[in-house]
Amino acid sequence: MEALTTMAYRQLKRFARAKSRVAGMIINPLLWLVFFGMGWSKVFDNSMARTVFGGVDYLTFLAPGIFAMTVFNQSFVAGVSVIWDKQFGFLKEVLVAPASRKESILGRIIGDSLVTLTQGAIILALTFPLAENLKPSGFIPALGVGFLLAMAFSGFGVSLALRMESMEGFQMIMMVLMLPLTFLSGAIYPIDTMPDWMKALAYVNPLTYAVDGARHFLVGASVAKFSLGVDLGVLTVLAAVLVGLAMAEFERATIG
Amino acid sequence: MAEHAIVVENLVKRYGDFEAVRGISFRVKRGEIFAFLGPNGAGKTTTVHVLTTLLKPTSGKAVVAGHDVVDEPMEVRKRIGIVFQDPSLDRELTAYENMYIHGRIYGLKGSELKEKIEHLLKFVELWEFKDKPVKTFSGGMQRRLEIARSLLHEPEVLFLDEPTIGLDPQTRAHIWDYIRAMKEEHNMTIFLTTHYMDEAEQLADRIAIIDHGKIIAEGTAEELKKLVGNDVVYLKLDAPEELKCLRAEFIRGCKILADGRVALEVENAAEALPRLFELVAEKGIKILEVTYHRPTLNDVFLHLTGREIRDEGAENPMAAFVRMRMRR
Ligand SMILES: Nc1ncnc2c1ncn2[C@@H]1O[C@H](COP(=O)(O)OP(=O)(O)O)[C@@H](O)[C@H]1O
Ligand SMILES: [Mg+2]
Repeated sequence: MEALTTMAYRQLKRFARAKSRVAGMIINPLLWLVFFGMGWSKVFDNSMARTVFGGVDYLTFLAPGIFAMTVFNQSFVAGVSVIWDKQFGFLKEVLVAPASRKESILGRIIGDSLVTLTQGAIILALTFPLAENLKPSGFIPALGVGFLLAMAFSGFGVSLALRMESMEGFQMIMMVLMLPLTFLSGAIYPIDTMPDWMKALAYVNPLTYAVDGARHFLVGASVAKFSLGVDLGVLTVLAAVLVGLAMAEFERATIG
Repeated sequence: MAEHAIVVENLVKRYGDFEAVRGISFRVKRGEIFAFLGPNGAGKTTTVHVLTTLLKPTSGKAVVAGHDVVDEPMEVRKRIGIVFQDPSLDRELTAYENMYIHGRIYGLKGSELKEKIEHLLKFVELWEFKDKPVKTFSGGMQRRLEIARSLLHEPEVLFLDEPTIGLDPQTRAHIWDYIRAMKEEHNMTIFLTTHYMDEAEQLADRIAIIDHGKIIAEGTAEELKKLVGNDVVYLKLDAPEELKCLRAEFIRGCKILADGRVALEVENAAEALPRLFELVAEKGIKILEVTYHRPTLNDVFLHLTGREIRDEGAENPMAAFVRMRMRR
């Protein structure tokens, strides 16, 4: 347990040190929420549009999506931090230690997920005054959904980072993944109105289930597409598999 | 406890087709400072990484602190400390936090950990900077912090991979003092790699000279110098390259240096010099400069490989030259 808690502590400590970076990180989702969300909200301010968005105003529909998007984007920071540690040599320090590597990397992933979640929580708190119909009681459970999502994609990011040498390569893959997965998640428009081929992609997109799960808690079952059990089940299995892969990968890691 | 802290037999490490370490064997006694001296690319870091369980050997055997590095890496990791060639600190965190995290990962905690951190940060004279982020530290300060960190869990065997690479002479001398103190106070076994001859000579009880993945000589600095002979005469000659290497029965070896000078290995320089002047006069060659001194490890390397070990101004060759002359 020492290695796990120590590595989690380290990730949190680093985050606390980099306050200016934190501000930079939440600006992007904030721009989405304010300009994209408020820009469209008047356009969709009619009964027909409300029907499409499950009977709620657009900002309420969008808010869980922005939250999930923030967590999703920030999750890759875990991967980025592994590449940094490779480049700045700290990774060797962990690899040569007589501690369980599986625990070390799990600790990192948990630490980074908590960091990610903090940022998600800030964004979510900021959306409450803007969106009319969000349920305050859904705040904490939605963070739970966010945590599963964060664990899954931090695990994925770590596995990826362990195989990559350069920051550039990693960032390329992030860029390639991020926008399509966001568009195909039902975060900004409903899945039901998508063309069939897009729907198929949305179903295999993990982010879909996080957006949907967050909607369950923050808005209500009526706007959600899947049952809560499906959402949480998919996310839990995914997180377990991706974190498990990262742990196996780190166990075998040597230095280049 | 076994007599040897490190036992290596026929160790080979290949990267793809390239053999970086080509079948080396050596033993390091407990409490000894053992240096691997060799130029860049010789295979020093590769060897250190195999001995510290970070790389799997291609073949051969290595036992460190009583445990095989392949079969029982965890047991080895518990008993070793390492200062890597390249920095491995967390630059965003403070010196104290770096120490603290290391200690926790190695299972230390509470007041014991706190006391050790304080003791070691004072030892390397960084206590007053303990709350400063590492990224604000100079190269020498970072090195000292890494040394302190490597001692935190009281390793039996300490690996120092080029501990003073890239540091200024004053800082280097300072770090040597710490290394000597570590050996004396804790009777620690230290495996050191370096491409600085003076470092090997200053610190090591025994030296292995490594080149192209092979150990080409091993012994104390004195033993190694005996390979060359008693004296080395350096001549700067006004002669074409092919005539430079003079031949005579009193000249035991002749090598041409990178700067064009000739190094002649002789039994006794004082007696050899007059004979050399005669020889040169006979051949009609002009001498521009003459010096002689006792062999250095550079001469040993030159003797064994025909090349010089020093590079990128590890020390200014001229400065060393002048120092030698003045000592005589
Ligand atoms: N990961 C690697 N892949 C391929 N070749 C490597 C790798 N690491 C080192 N080498 C090569 O192995 C040789 C020995 O390197 P190294 O052990 O770092 O030498 P030293 O530490 O003595 O300078 C060098 O020629 C180097 O280029
Ligand atoms: Mg090296």
